[in-house]
Amino acid sequence: MRAEFVNPFVQATCDVVRLTMGTEPKLGSLSARPKIFTATEFNVSCGIVGDLVGGVLYGLSSETAYSVAKQMLGGMEEIPDELSTSALAELGNMISGNTSSKLQALGFVCDITPPSIIRGTNISISTIDIPALVIPIELGAHGSLEITVSLKERAAVKAA
Amino acid sequence: MAKRILITDDALFMRVTLKNILTQNGFEVVGEAANGREAVELYSSLKPDLVTMDITMPEMDGLEALKQIRASDPQAKVVMCTAMGQKNMVVEAVQNGAKDFIVKPFQPERVIEAVSKLLAA
Ligand SMILES: [Mg+2]
Repeated sequence: MRAEFVNPFVQATCDVVRLTMGTEPKLGSLSARPKIFTATEFNVSCGIVGDLVGGVLYGLSSETAYSVAKQMLGGMEEIPDELSTSALAELGNMISGNTSSKLQALGFVCDITPPSIIRGTNISISTIDIPALVIPIELGAHGSLEITVSLKERAAVKAA
Repeated sequence: MAKRILITDDALFMRVTLKNILTQNGFEVVGEAANGREAVELYSSLKPDLVTMDITMPEMDGLEALKQIRASDPQAKVVMCTAMGQKNMVVEAVQNGAKDFIVKPFQPERVIEAVSKLLAA
């Protein structure tokens, strides 16, 4: 994946985290995903279509997911599962949307698909033929967010 | 009488958030749509004073719903409220009659400012 695609994700994530969680995010070190990797317990998946194709997975531990959802809901006690899941799905949607604005500034026009949720333990994920990169973001007391990005330029996909 | 608003967003979280912001500021939320198709249907049955419209939604997206609502009522006041803040989305929404464009995540004041301005006019 081209290095220039990383920064839009980092910037968008930091902007969204500051506004929704009131915490100062910190970028960890990037690494490549192996062909098949084990996902965290709570994942929000968004597809990206347009000049770039692929997807992004926002991964959280169960504890971090609960902590972030609670913060997004204004510290509400007794949060129904449907509502906390929706808050985290919307978090993925907001980061993806803000990222796509930044990708457009680089000349890549993309749309995003509505988010879906993948939950469980020991889930194996493969992005098949689009190599994936992990962008870890520390969310202060909430824990950490693992962003797995696999993106290709559309022309490159066609040629493959 | 309180101004009547229809909220459109596929995320329950966002519908709850917008409803809280609007009702706390004296507006009445008369309906909640979870996709574009529901928004079009609820617009014609509820005749709200204003609609908030997400873009990325299953079934029918917010740009298509905006077009259909404006075709049925050229006076419809629709405020886009979406994470898709890129230029082509803003241009397409405005060309199709959207009155304002709020990018998520937003501050509650931004929503109230947009809605109050449009409903005062
Ligand atoms: Mg949406």
